[in-house]
Amino acid sequence: MTISHHPRDDVLLDLAAGRLAAGPALLASVHARTCPQCGARLRALEAAGGVLLESSPPQPLRADAFARVMERIAAPAVHGAAQAALPPLAVGRSPADPGTAETGRPDWPEGAPWPAGLDGCRFGPWKWIAPGMRWSRLLAPPEAAANVFLLRIGPGRSLPSHTHGGVEWTQVLHGRFHDGHALFGPGDFDAADGSIHHQPVVQGTDDCICLAAVDGRLRFDGLLARLAGSLVGL
Amino acid sequence: MTVVRQPLAEPRAPRRALPAYLSIVSKNHPEGTSLPLSPDAWVAMVRAVADEGDRQAFAALFKHFAPRVKSYLMRLGLAEGVAEDLAQETMVNLWRKAASFDPAHAAVSTWVFTIARNLRIDHLRRKGNQPSEHDDGHGLLMEDAGPDERAYAAQCEIQVRRALELLAPEQAQVLRRSFFDEQPHARIAEELGIPLGTVKSRVRLAVRHLRRLLGDHAP
Repeated sequence: MTISHHPRDDVLLDLAAGRLAAGPALLASVHARTCPQCGARLRALEAAGGVLLESSPPQPLRADAFARVMERIAAPAVHGAAQAALPPLAVGRSPADPGTAETGRPDWPEGAPWPAGLDGCRFGPWKWIAPGMRWSRLLAPPEAAANVFLLRIGPGRSLPSHTHGGVEWTQVLHGRFHDGHALFGPGDFDAADGSIHHQPVVQGTDDCICLAAVDGRLRFDGLLARLAGSLVGL
Repeated sequence: MTVVRQPLAEPRAPRRALPAYLSIVSKNHPEGTSLPLSPDAWVAMVRAVADEGDRQAFAALFKHFAPRVKSYLMRLGLAEGVAEDLAQETMVNLWRKAASFDPAHAAVSTWVFTIARNLRIDHLRRKGNQPSEHDDGHGLLMEDAGPDERAYAAQCEIQVRRALELLAPEQAQVLRRSFFDEQPHARIAEELGIPLGTVKSRVRLAVRHLRRLLGDHAP
């Protein structure tokens, strides 16, 4: 898999510094999990964060801080913090599995792996928007759910522009599209501001599935109207 | 069969009264009293915490990192009480996750930074009435590196430290502020009287120089 479209350096820096909004942060971290180059860059920037942390002037803690930490360590992990760090046991968990509602994973193309960076996420089932076009809502993590969704578009069809103004972020998970300038395939990342008007068209014989995010909060009824509207040329 | 690496299953209970050597962490020492330790020495301490529940090693980690985490959080605009709580929480996490720390993957300073960063993100989301049910993508950033990235990561801290020293002062400053200022771009723009777009291209330039110093010459 050749990845030719990457997040810009300032996006990776914002991700490393923890200042990227939840939606774009999810997309960029999915990209960094898929793309060795950006994964290495992200780790270098996180290492810079660590080095800068070590060189910052210490701020004394309260006198009883260490004792309080040791007390909390001795107490059971009430928030399940230790458990939360473990990878989810998503495969073969119980014989009575799955179904989208149970797994949080909508129906996925045969043979295509579920993207590693989405392990902690839950999505709803695919919903019809228009011929050849479906979407799936992100249910969790809740902080990203307001402005992240999956789009699944059939071969030869156009991807809608789903915002007016603001930045729209796209991470290709499966299939390919051409936006008139360049070809985007699995692993590719795109951040386009509203001023760019192109009409991406799905290439090949496979559906194209993208993780998409928009800046700010999105009203989904508005999204649907716009998605449908863009299809009939409104 | 899936082997799941458990964090330290049963953290040993600390003694009620802290032993004498731990007075080192319960008193406020002036800046610079902590010994400069090599990245490997910190790794050995995290190992000792994971394998033996070594409280002395944990005390040394605490003394070095907790005040710097608190400083980091306060510089990002958190109130002192909140920064104190999250610095303590960072250290609780360090103890609990010590067994899952992979030294081939990240330096201890990198690991501590990401724990503190993620706790801050979670805190801000909770405050914004967006409770976080679980560790989301942010917590996963450092997992599942391939062999190539591991080799890269193993040397990363020392190389990054050197690269930061080699950067032009104003570029190092741009990077530092990107991590430590609440509104780095807006504030740099205001102070220097330049447009926000110019600040952003300076940020990109600084990151690109850092990358080049690390041997990454891709555009």
